Amino acid sequence: MKFMGFRCATVIAALFAVSPALAQKQVVVYSANENTLDSLVYEAFEKATSIKVNGVSGGSGVLVKRIQTEKDRPGGDIIWGVSRSLLESNKEFFTPYKSKNVGAIPAEFRDPNDLWIGNNLHMLVILQNTKALPEGQGPKSWNDLLDPKWKGKIAFTDPANSGSAYTNATLLAQMWGNNDAAWKKVEQFFANTKVLNRSSLVFQGVGNGEYPLGVSLEYAGYLWASNGAPVKVIYPSDGTAAQMEGCAIIKGGPNTESAKAFVDFINQKDTRELILSKTFRRPTRQDLDLSKLPGNMPALAAIKIAPYDEAAWTKARPETMQKLQDIIAKTR
Amino acid sequence: MRLIPARSGFPLAVAAVALAFLGLFLVYPLYNVFQASFFDPSGKALTLANYVKILGTPFYRAGLINSLTVGSLATLMTIAIGVPMAFCVARLPVPAKPALLALAALPLVLPSFVGAYAWVLLLGRAGLVTQGLREIGLDGISIYGKQGLVLVYTLQTFPYVLLPTLAAFKAVDVSIEEAGQNLGATRWRVFRTVILPVVLPSVLSGGLLVFMETLENFGVPFVLAEDMPILSIQAYKLFVGEMGANPASAGVLGVLLICCTTAALLLQRYYLSKRRFATGARSVPPELVVAPWLRRLGACFAWGVVLLALVPFAAVVAISFLKFRGPVMHLEPSIGNFVLLWQRGERPLVNTLMLATGAAAGATLLGVPIGYVLTRYRSRLADLLDVVAMAPFAVAGTVLGIGLVISFNSGFLILTGGWLILVLAYMIRKLPFNVRASAAILHQIDPSLEEASINLGVSPARTFFQLTVPLMAGGVIGGTILTWVTITSELSATVVLYSGQWSTMTVEMFRALEGTGAGTAAATATVLILATILPLALIYRVLKRHEVALL
Amino acid sequence: MTAIRIDGVARAFGAVAAVRGVTLDIRDGEFFTLLGPSGCGKTTLLRMVAGFCDLDSGTIHFGERRIDTVPPHKRNAGMVFQNYAIFPNLTVNGNVAYGLKARGIVPDQIDDRAAKALKLVHLDGYGARWPHQLSGGQLQRVALARCLVIEPEVILLDEPLSNLDAKLRVEMRGEIRQLQKRLGITALYVTHDQEEAMAISDRIAVMNAGSVEQIGQPVDIYQRPATPFVARFMGTTNLLSGSVIRHEGDRAVVRAGGHDFLVGAPGIAEAEPGKAIGFSLRPEALTITAPGAKPPPGWASLEARVVRIEFLGALTRIELALDSGLVLHAAAVDMPRALAEGPVALSYDPARVTAFPGPCD
Repeated sequence: MKFMGFRCATVIAALFAVSPALAQKQVVVYSANENTLDSLVYEAFEKATSIKVNGVSGGSGVLVKRIQTEKDRPGGDIIWGVSRSLLESNKEFFTPYKSKNVGAIPAEFRDPNDLWIGNNLHMLVILQNTKALPEGQGPKSWNDLLDPKWKGKIAFTDPANSGSAYTNATLLAQMWGNNDAAWKKVEQFFANTKVLNRSSLVFQGVGNGEYPLGVSLEYAGYLWASNGAPVKVIYPSDGTAAQMEGCAIIKGGPNTESAKAFVDFINQKDTRELILSKTFRRPTRQDLDLSKLPGNMPALAAIKIAPYDEAAWTKARPETMQKLQDIIAKTR
Repeated sequence: MRLIPARSGFPLAVAAVALAFLGLFLVYPLYNVFQASFFDPSGKALTLANYVKILGTPFYRAGLINSLTVGSLATLMTIAIGVPMAFCVARLPVPAKPALLALAALPLVLPSFVGAYAWVLLLGRAGLVTQGLREIGLDGISIYGKQGLVLVYTLQTFPYVLLPTLAAFKAVDVSIEEAGQNLGATRWRVFRTVILPVVLPSVLSGGLLVFMETLENFGVPFVLAEDMPILSIQAYKLFVGEMGANPASAGVLGVLLICCTTAALLLQRYYLSKRRFATGARSVPPELVVAPWLRRLGACFAWGVVLLALVPFAAVVAISFLKFRGPVMHLEPSIGNFVLLWQRGERPLVNTLMLATGAAAGATLLGVPIGYVLTRYRSRLADLLDVVAMAPFAVAGTVLGIGLVISFNSGFLILTGGWLILVLAYMIRKLPFNVRASAAILHQIDPSLEEASINLGVSPARTFFQLTVPLMAGGVIGGTILTWVTITSELSATVVLYSGQWSTMTVEMFRALEGTGAGTAAATATVLILATILPLALIYRVLKRHEVALL
Repeated sequence: MTAIRIDGVARAFGAVAAVRGVTLDIRDGEFFTLLGPSGCGKTTLLRMVAGFCDLDSGTIHFGERRIDTVPPHKRNAGMVFQNYAIFPNLTVNGNVAYGLKARGIVPDQIDDRAAKALKLVHLDGYGARWPHQLSGGQLQRVALARCLVIEPEVILLDEPLSNLDAKLRVEMRGEIRQLQKRLGITALYVTHDQEEAMAISDRIAVMNAGSVEQIGQPVDIYQRPATPFVARFMGTTNLLSGSVIRHEGDRAVVRAGGHDFLVGAPGIAEAEPGKAIGFSLRPEALTITAPGAKPPPGWASLEARVVRIEFLGALTRIELALDSGLVLHAAAVDMPRALAEGPVALSYDPARVTAFPGPCD
């Protein structure tokens, strides 16, 4: 017993001796990205600037909630990888910064007052597992997904948990006319889907063949396909929307100067090329030649974009979300 | 009964410290989380409208019903499996019992969502086993939905029933059994009418743990429920959903969760208070002599359950040694996942070990004196302490985490962003285990030893530290190790509370699975398993005698 | 060395009164026993003196010092527990030294005093042993040494012998008594065994249902029980109820069970004829002789039949029936020769009868 007690004491002492010595410059990033992207960028940033990155990962909802509760004493410097609507609706927590990259990024992907800046675009697409569902037999458009033969075969994310799923559902409603008939079709669409808790479950499910089809994001399809999974990306012929993700500097954060460096770094041309080659994030800056980069993604101009009134749908979010929740509950 | 025990500075001091601690780090945060649910949107008038609204919504009612159904079924299943298994291990010559018991506790080590993912890889629609079965014509097997949840919960939580029931079977006085038979009862009748009632309290307290765990858990339904409404998921979504949190509705669900678990707790305590069986077994009952086929059946059953429960372990370890290209698994052996993990650094592992050690020590330091006061000084104050100290059982980790963030991000005490808030959350969550374990050990220590010490002139406080603590040491170390092990796999509170440099192994796994790093997640899990298996094996070495105390 | 004064002490557990207003004066150096059946409150009372049980009302003093408000660890009352309560994690020496260490005695003295205490209980040389290596009797001696070594003002013994076998019990009680007298220490002893109580005590308090029924020296309590309960509890007896018919001098004739008994208990002369009384006649006070034999002068005699004989070695118990069917128990030292089932004459000294006001239940 004595021996054990002694050993325990030594082990505990050893553990607590590792407490961090933080003389180095650092930046605290609240990131909603998946960690492959995070570690890629953090490593490159640390190498380029010698600023240490402390990453906090979480769903964008969790992170925003955290910024809100921490408003009197912010713990983070940057929020990264969250949707335009979340950035818009939480502007009061951000501090403006005019990035060095603003020239390369179209105005539609930036805040006019530089409170936030877009980094990448997620095209809403249909993913198909070509092993579970032979290539020629997949749907071509959103409209095709209403066919009852897909019932239970389409994975989708609960819009309550995912900004892109919300955009996707409202995109469909708008595309189909935003009237009763349109919402009837949205209901039909939901009736065919499995509504999962997280977007990651959708692309993992399609990648592993758990679901033959999934409504997901462009990058996931390329990522899985390029690594050998039988996944095909379908850009719906009736048009889609580009869901922007961006970053913002948190007002009153502990390392605002480092945060500025980080914002500049992640939108630099070479960084975007690195990110695209490794993780297939389509950049907001439009000066990259996609055809020369891995994945050979089509240029933004080559994809049919459907009209989508993001501002209006963001504003109508509470009642629309309620409507969607009712539809989900009804179609289960 | 008295309000406070008379002339007892020591228990009073313990109760005061414990109540202050729990008040500050449990009751106050929970109040902050739940108060919104009792107010109208203006935040001024008290109302129950939020409750009426939520309970009037079929979606949430379905969530409540599904959660209770799954919880009850899982509880019944664990009892149906755990009790016969405990009996087999206690009374039949099952081969390699120590190994069996050590392996049986393992399911508690693997974070539940990782276990659920492993089951999907095996039994999902495109799972290895499902595909194999499909080739031989068996189709329609699904791990998703209620049956999957019940299966996974059963295999993950049956140790909660097995371990205390086993201890109870071993504590049955053989003479009761002989007396029963002597009075002309058949063996089965003796089992049903004499032995079963004696072990029932242990079965029930194990079953209660299972029920609470399944109700509170959100990792497993997160993966397996697909779109079936489940209360813990709904609460999680409402608390942190991207749609903008809805604190009033979220509070309602949180309160509902607490109500369900508290009701179960009270029901069990009420039942137990009506029946107290104390048996003073002088020796462990002997193994029964039964027909060889029955013996073999018992051995196959016990080992079968344990091995089945270890399938996700084997799967996770196997997967961690497969080649991953990005998120895509290829059936080639590789140590690439570990290389990647190595490059990420050891910080999460160090954090996990350090935080778990701090929290397990803290929970023990707090739990042992509380258990002592509860067992040795009955009074109304002790009853209050009992209820408050058991309350964390009923609180979902996410809810506690959010409460701690709200309460300690600003104001008189700032804890967010550091390691202490994680340690506190773990301490609170695991406190009931420690209190129960300490109380169980104390029941085995004759109170007259302490009286003798006090009588010889040593004050109650010094007696506790100088005599009782050394006497409890074995059991306490066992309980602490078990707490330590379960903390290392904690996710639901951690995910809300951790900050960058204090990321843990489970958070790393969660993030990796959330993203595209299933391989890294498996490797992380493998490392965590290795890091926790050693102390777990120690439990069985250090304390053969205190098995009861483990839970 | 201290007297113990227990004054009006009471304690209830819920609705059950465990001790109801007990008052006792235990003299300095006295061996005082609380005797009674289980549940009579004797252990509760002892634990109150030790400080392990709170008082609802009343006071307890050691000498002039009021101790019921003093925490138990400051009372300086050594206690010996029923199950010995030997610390299993300490050696014999560790156990004995435990209380000395608590008192901050210097180590040299501790060893010295512990050794002396062990010698006192005939355990010299056992200091290094572990409790699990000792027998029940040895454990009891360790408990005794541990309690005596701190030189307590009083010692409290809670059924200390009940876990020992019969022979050892007799041996140990003798030793305890001897030790107590030698050290001159006040002892409060709890037992349910009346024989043990009588063998060991200076005085006994017989307790029943939370109250003291009688306090006195063993011989008084046995021979002059104050209540039917005490009479019954202190050993086998013939308890009869009847009514006074007439007086014969300072004695009374009482009719019970259809027979006339001559009762010579003190104060019986004052009982009015017709008054219902109870009385106790100890078996050994009954003398059995051949039918028709003449009893000693002043003795009462009855005709009876021996219906059963129980030979117990030193003692023989005899069950007798009177014509009415009333059964009496008699006892004789040794086995009387020629004793057989059949008619006999029964005689007794009326002075050995104890009477109680009112019938016995």
